Amino acid sequence: MDPKQFNTQILSLSDRLFRLAKSILRNTEAAQDAVQDLNMKLWEKRSALEEVENVPAFMLRSMRNLCLDNIRQKREEDELPVELEFTEPNPHQQVEQKDLVIRIRGMIDDLPELQRTIIRMRDVEGMELSEIAYVTSLTENAVSVNLSRARQKIRQKIIYEQKRVEEIVWKG
Amino acid sequence: MNDLLEKYFRGETSLTEEAELRHYFVSNENVSAGHEAYRALFVAFDQEQQETPDVSLPKGLQQQHKVKRFWIRAFSYSGIAAALVLALWIQRPQQEKDYAIMHGRRIDDPEYAQRYAEKKLNDVNEMLQNGLKPLRDMEALKENLRNGRKNGSVKTEITESDKNRNINN
Repeated sequence: MDPKQFNTQILSLSDRLFRLAKSILRNTEAAQDAVQDLNMKLWEKRSALEEVENVPAFMLRSMRNLCLDNIRQKREEDELPVELEFTEPNPHQQVEQKDLVIRIRGMIDDLPELQRTIIRMRDVEGMELSEIAYVTSLTENAVSVNLSRARQKIRQKIIYEQKRVEEIVWKG
Repeated sequence: MNDLLEKYFRGETSLTEEAELRHYFVSNENVSAGHEAYRALFVAFDQEQQETPDVSLPKGLQQQHKVKRFWIRAFSYSGIAAALVLALWIQRPQQEKDYAIMHGRRIDDPEYAQRYAEKKLNDVNEMLQNGLKPLRDMEALKENLRNGRKNGSVKTEITESDKNRNINN
């Protein structure tokens, strides 16, 4: 793979890779570092990329694995609890957040890694279930179940949030 | 729309149906009150899709770009240099003026050189005229002698001529 092909095929996926990494790591800088790290690793092994059938799916899978490795490594170094690693100040957790869109993004960030990755690959990136299954190393059925669970959780949180706001308005 | 929304939360919608939902919620600001909260969900997805990273190129690829840039610059500078040389070469005959060397001095003013040359030619001409005068006198004398032999008055004319010369001296 020559530099031009690499530029066209690999670097053009940077946006999607970044969003996936950010969803997993929940940190913008860490996500950018991960994308750069992956790009460099793939550049060094670019000749092997010619044998890959579905480059975007392969890249996303590599990105997810890299992010999970980063989390594991960080957890070992810092002995952080599983769901506290890399958590930047979450807009969702701040008091008096009025923007529902921001709160919903926080709700998605609060989902378990697999569910938030799946819901974003589907609803943000518009990926087929088969592609998500490849990236996450799951069956399509398992992806579908996790997607449904993720959406149901978000829905429950939205309904809960709405009720809370209504109560505040009613009391106020 | 409610049925489609229910289907969505069950995870049973196709990509086409999800695109329809998204279009409905994102492009429509005045959805019904019951849909308002779900609108924020699809807007959140839409916002996330706009996010882009600030990622630089891998080192190897940067070098490739540098090498490419080097050759582009090299060709550009070579082109500029060639153009300059060509321009100077074209201008050279216009800048190179005629000149003359006079007494070891370079004269660039053509009018002055011409005047100087004409004056010198006149001097030469005058010099030649003066130098040839005795010869012309001799020719005149010979002619008179020939005429005198024919008419018998040569001696008288010579005498007159000698007299005049002695007076002048």
